[in-house]
Amino acid sequence: MTQSPQPPSDAIVALEGVSKRYGRVAAVSDVTLVVQRGEVLGLLGPNGSGKTTLLRMLTGYLTPTAGRLVVAGFDTERQPMEARRRIGYVPESLPLYGHMRVREFLWFIARLRGLPRTAATAALDQIVERVRLGDVASAPIRTLSRGYRQRVAIAQGLVHGPEILVLDEPTNGLDPRQIIETRSLIRELAGERTIIMSSHILSEVEKVADRVAILLRGRLLAVRSMADTPNLEELFLSLT
Amino acid sequence: MSALGILLRKELHATFTSPIAYAVATVFLLVTGYTFSLTLFFTKVANLTYIFHQMYVLLILLAPVITMRTFAEERKADTLELLLTSPVREVWIVLAKFLAQLTLVAGLLAGSGAYAVILGRYGEPDWAPIYGGYLALLLLGSLLVAIGILASSLTENQVVAATCALGLGLMLWFADSASYMLPAPLDVVAINLSLIGHFTTFVNGSLFLSDAGYYLTLSLLALFLTTRVVMDR
Repeated sequence: MTQSPQPPSDAIVALEGVSKRYGRVAAVSDVTLVVQRGEVLGLLGPNGSGKTTLLRMLTGYLTPTAGRLVVAGFDTERQPMEARRRIGYVPESLPLYGHMRVREFLWFIARLRGLPRTAATAALDQIVERVRLGDVASAPIRTLSRGYRQRVAIAQGLVHGPEILVLDEPTNGLDPRQIIETRSLIRELAGERTIIMSSHILSEVEKVADRVAILLRGRLLAVRSMADTPNLEELFLSLT
Repeated sequence: MSALGILLRKELHATFTSPIAYAVATVFLLVTGYTFSLTLFFTKVANLTYIFHQMYVLLILLAPVITMRTFAEERKADTLELLLTSPVREVWIVLAKFLAQLTLVAGLLAGSGAYAVILGRYGEPDWAPIYGGYLALLLLGSLLVAIGILASSLTENQVVAATCALGLGLMLWFADSASYMLPAPLDVVAINLSLIGHFTTFVNGSLFLSDAGYYLTLSLLALFLTTRVVMDR
């Protein structure tokens, strides 16, 4: 794949030759990929395949060793603040400040990501309703169940109204009901914004994504439209 | 409110809702209050020199406890990932943590200001060494907090962070002792690196820019190094 790093008009994220090395170990090797505006892209790969590293480079947490990432027209190394403003990120470990109450935490994140006071208040009310956090809005985060913590994590990724939502293993550790709820939330959000999600579960990607990118040992093996992939399992096995 | 203001508010909230702040304040004020009462009772002299030297030691011991969680806790809980993927420069994150912990140190010193008030009410103290002593303690606190935050940025283990910060603080305290073993001009460097050498002049009521410059320069260096550590990822 040799797509241009400058996204075409309907592309919102472009990666060109992106690599991340830790000494001699290559966590991600020479990944080139374009994500279209409004689509749900599933990053599929076994544990340790480089999905999280790739997402961390996209969100600005890690700096690539080589290559270039462009987010909504902004180079993540040259214009990191502009690029970060356009991304909402939900890490796999659900990092939250346990001592804060839900509304207090979301207010902090909204203000940190640049929303003015009045806009933050409006966004907060909207997101609490959208992610169905009304029951626990005044509760300290450390008292919440895993399912609610997941919702708070998704809410913090959305509260500043980003164009792109990045989800790292969003259904990990959830019970079946919570998995179904999270899936349906992702599908609801899909029409409004671009979603990039990682998963090591085939059925997860199959049910949610429009396209799938398969990673193995840090290398991008294939990018396929789900519409053209009747059997993802077969494709995955043939590539790996 | 600027990014620094938003981060500082969060750090102050985290600092003053943590039991660590109250445990440290209790120990600091109890120990210094005890010494103040005893010294005043036995010497009947209106001066705080003994207390300032005790506060100097207490700050070296307690600053690592105050600062150990700043970055280590965020690393362990992965919340650093939230901060570093927000559109905020790393230097503001470091400065917010520094200012919040320095506020706690300033609070401890303000609490001990009661001793000066008592001396002023019932005696006639020489105020120059008292003002100088408090300025020195604030500058010392600034340096120790900056060192503690640097140590905390290097690990996700709070005990390791506190131990390293304590080690650095003690090494700086005793740096002048190494001058006896070092050839010129390294002996002069060792003497000038010493925490205590730059502290005593203030407590004696003398104010030298070079002494203030020492604390400020090393504080800035530690904050700069912390920012580099946080940026290196």
